[in-house]
Amino acid sequence: MKWVFATALILLIAGGAATVMTEPDLGTDVPVIYWVTDRNPARLDQVDLFHQWLIDEGHTTPEGRPIVELRLDIATSDPTNSKKIIQSVAGVASDVMDCDIGQMHTLGVLRDVTEDAYRLNFGLDQTYAALAPVLTRDGKQYGFPCNVDINSFWANVGTFKKYGMDPPPQNWTIEEFESIGREFVKRANPTDGRQSVFFSNTLGDWQGRWLFIALIRSKGASLFNETMTASTAGDPRVAEIFQKYYQWTFEDHLMPTGAEVSSFSSSAGYGGPALSLFEMGNYGMIIAGRWVLIRMRDFENPPVVQVSYFPVPENGFDNDVISTRSAAVYKGSDHPEHAALFLSFLASNPYNRQIVDIADGLPPTPAFAETEAYIHPPNHPNEWGIHKPMHDTAKNRSIAKAMSPFIAEGIVTRHMTQAIEKVLAEPQLATPQQAADVMAQEINAEIALTIRESTRLEEQYTQLVETQKKIDAYRAEGKLVPLEWISNPFHRKYYVEQGWALPEGIDDQGGAK
Amino acid sequence: MSYLPSQRSRRKLATGLAFLGPNIIGFMTFTLLPLIFALVLAFTNWDLRLHNQFQDEALRFVGLENFTRLLSEPNFWRYLGNTLFLMMGIPFGIAGSLLAAVLLSQDLRAGSRRNWVWLIVGAVLISSTGILVMLGAQVPAMVMLIGGAASLILLSGTVGGKTLYRTLFYVPHFTAGVATFILWKKLYSPYTGPINFALSPLLDGLTGAVNTLPSAGVQSVAWLLVAGMFALLLFGVLRLGHWWAEGDISQFGVILGGVMILFPAVMGFRWMPLPVLGYLSLGAAGIAVVLLGFKLFNAARVFKPSSLGEGLGGTLMFATVMMVAQFILLGLTTVIYNLPVMASAPGGLEPPSWLNNVYWAKPSLMIMAFWAAIGSNNMLLYLAGLAGVPPELYEAAEIDGAGRFAKFWNVTWPQLAPVTFFIVVMSVIYGLQGGFEMARTMTNGGPAGATTTLSYYVYMEGFETGRLGYASAITWTLFGLVFLVTLFNWKFGNRYVND
Repeated sequence: MKWVFATALILLIAGGAATVMTEPDLGTDVPVIYWVTDRNPARLDQVDLFHQWLIDEGHTTPEGRPIVELRLDIATSDPTNSKKIIQSVAGVASDVMDCDIGQMHTLGVLRDVTEDAYRLNFGLDQTYAALAPVLTRDGKQYGFPCNVDINSFWANVGTFKKYGMDPPPQNWTIEEFESIGREFVKRANPTDGRQSVFFSNTLGDWQGRWLFIALIRSKGASLFNETMTASTAGDPRVAEIFQKYYQWTFEDHLMPTGAEVSSFSSSAGYGGPALSLFEMGNYGMIIAGRWVLIRMRDFENPPVVQVSYFPVPENGFDNDVISTRSAAVYKGSDHPEHAALFLSFLASNPYNRQIVDIADGLPPTPAFAETEAYIHPPNHPNEWGIHKPMHDTAKNRSIAKAMSPFIAEGIVTRHMTQAIEKVLAEPQLATPQQAADVMAQEINAEIALTIRESTRLEEQYTQLVETQKKIDAYRAEGKLVPLEWISNPFHRKYYVEQGWALPEGIDDQGGAK
Repeated sequence: MSYLPSQRSRRKLATGLAFLGPNIIGFMTFTLLPLIFALVLAFTNWDLRLHNQFQDEALRFVGLENFTRLLSEPNFWRYLGNTLFLMMGIPFGIAGSLLAAVLLSQDLRAGSRRNWVWLIVGAVLISSTGILVMLGAQVPAMVMLIGGAASLILLSGTVGGKTLYRTLFYVPHFTAGVATFILWKKLYSPYTGPINFALSPLLDGLTGAVNTLPSAGVQSVAWLLVAGMFALLLFGVLRLGHWWAEGDISQFGVILGGVMILFPAVMGFRWMPLPVLGYLSLGAAGIAVVLLGFKLFNAARVFKPSSLGEGLGGTLMFATVMMVAQFILLGLTTVIYNLPVMASAPGGLEPPSWLNNVYWAKPSLMIMAFWAAIGSNNMLLYLAGLAGVPPELYEAAEIDGAGRFAKFWNVTWPQLAPVTFFIVVMSVIYGLQGGFEMARTMTNGGPAGATTTLSYYVYMEGFETGRLGYASAITWTLFGLVFLVTLFNWKFGNRYVND
């Protein structure tokens, strides 16, 4: 028996040695950096493109080869970011990460790239202005977008035509949305029997959360107050949107219930099962970003599509949520200067052109969204009407999500998801106002907990609470509020639009500070 | 005389340690040290957002703060409630695996040449139906396929004997968990899943039947069920009183068992479909208390139990069965009372929206767990246990004129008590710790947290929120709970086994 054990031991040692010897890192004489990103086949091309860009820009070894080798790490990418978080705090994360900068910055694991951005030309001026709150913290830049996204309603023109309807207009009110939706589901479904065609996909997942934020903003509300020190989710205007969700799902049947979604036997894939249902005509519209074209172009008969922007509410405050898959440099990276080069590549001509071509969202640099290749992609005339409006929306009316430094974004998402689930549960577990109140209470309790744990954040919080009091007092007195007091990106834009704010650098007497 | 070990002994010791070494080192590195570390962590405010190698916030020892916060956190109690609710399926799972083991220990072989012919013909038919399904033939072909496959399996057993059945029953256990969960998710699909597909015609038939009967007639069944529930309640408390009078159980056993047996009637006050039934339920509970009190005060007690825990294992098992049975009757009462209203709704009686409905989500997971439990390791343990029952005991029972059930109750069941005890202990431990994979894959803990268990809560707090100190406190609280329940099982259940 001992010989069996000895043989097994020797084999294991030999196997281990063979693994180490064949490690790819040992096979290269230039530094290797890893990029944590999603499982998209286009990433392989982007790696090649980066290597070529390095050569073209002269970042080469004396032999003319790229000075750094980029490798993909798709195993670490997960929706909750938990793998990235654990690796980062343990000191073993990849050099470049596609991440939620707000979330990772709270952990202190991101490198400040402000200097690099200035030197290598990937500063904030190279991307959409609305993304500044996403990419910066305390005036410092921590990343650059890999792509940019504006979610909107994509209408399948063929499906609407099939039921004798025109696709929805590009800009519409909630009332128009409801009346067109009711007509659509009425025409598309038999009077008796199970409903199988819906106006749009479900509100119970991430699309529902995105739309929720845009809708509450359209009513002049936000999940956070101006200084993001407290949640204002208990606002009755937030509850009104919950009520709308219930109405659209259970009364008007514009969107499917959870049970109806799980009854569709559609395959998933990049973009999820909703996209297949959109193609098959079960959904007249889907809520998504430009990236859906990656899969849509592969359909057997790519649908003629049109995008619509929706929240034009009573207050008349048009808005859209801008988001980005942004790359950041890990603070513990052994090769931060090479990682910064990769961020510079994201602002480059070849990378942006590739994003335009493959439709992986909007290009990080807006100038590339004004080219003919973007507006009228030669091989896809069925899309010609959609690209320019998306870019215009990103440029003119989009606002980033409010992310408080005092609470992890994942927790806010969890409470929002639970609130939506309670309202859309069968049977309903909470009235819209109850769900809104509980969400506010839970977020505020989490903020209180974070403040209690961190002396650094407590100081910042105390100052901001004082500022909030001043804002509230100014608003009560009808005085203009200095814009620099406001950190919530929604309130910054809303205050300006409502004429409630003093521009930055101007004092309340109208003179320069 | 030297007290030093000889060179040969030392060499043996070294060899032994060399073999044990890797395991001990592995255990210490990956189990013991993290365990101790987690214990320390539970008393700190360690939050990944504030305390990591890139942050300079000081780590504080917070004493019992994490634990007190946990106990005042409504979500903790809610998720503990979910965990305990899911654990209510354990007795059914154990009963299922026992039944499977008993069936599979029978010799089922009845092979003959004719069976072989049937088997070959059946296989050809099934393959043809399979091809039809693949070519797009819909429902009838699928039904034929499922029915045919089931028949083929049964027939194969008559040729292949119990080994084939045993293998088939054990298949779920060596199928990857996630794959099974996804399969069940499809089975539970509300409008297109086979479960609701099968239920729909039954419910349509029931709708027709209920609608043709007068409401009062249907609802009278609910009254019968209430009567049955009260009968169980009274039987339960009187039985307890009788055992007490016989000296089989202590006062502690009576009180604990009594509380458990009375619990459904008390809850009935709130859950009964009619206020009058609620008051009756409360009244029945009151009568049961008076009867029990009367029995305790007046019965002449001949024998006295030796300790507080005397007969507690048996009492708990009895009380649990009584409690679950009453709850089932209470649930059925509510359903049947509301049946005429539900049946007269536009769509009639509809099958449940299993995983999407707040009230059905947990039972759905329990049903799936029950299915998995039947063919689990528990079944193998029972099979091994059954093989170890001395045949002479059965022979003796037969001589005494015992029938099949009497043999099972008086021979098999007591002989399997040590196995049952082991299975109960392990199932309770797994039940308290488990539920994460299932909920993560099938429901994401939803709808609205309805299937979030304590282990899922640990994951959420530790890896989504980053509060490792708090998450450790949850795990240690969970450990405390597991430890207490196991200790209880060991102390009282073990005695029951030895009795």
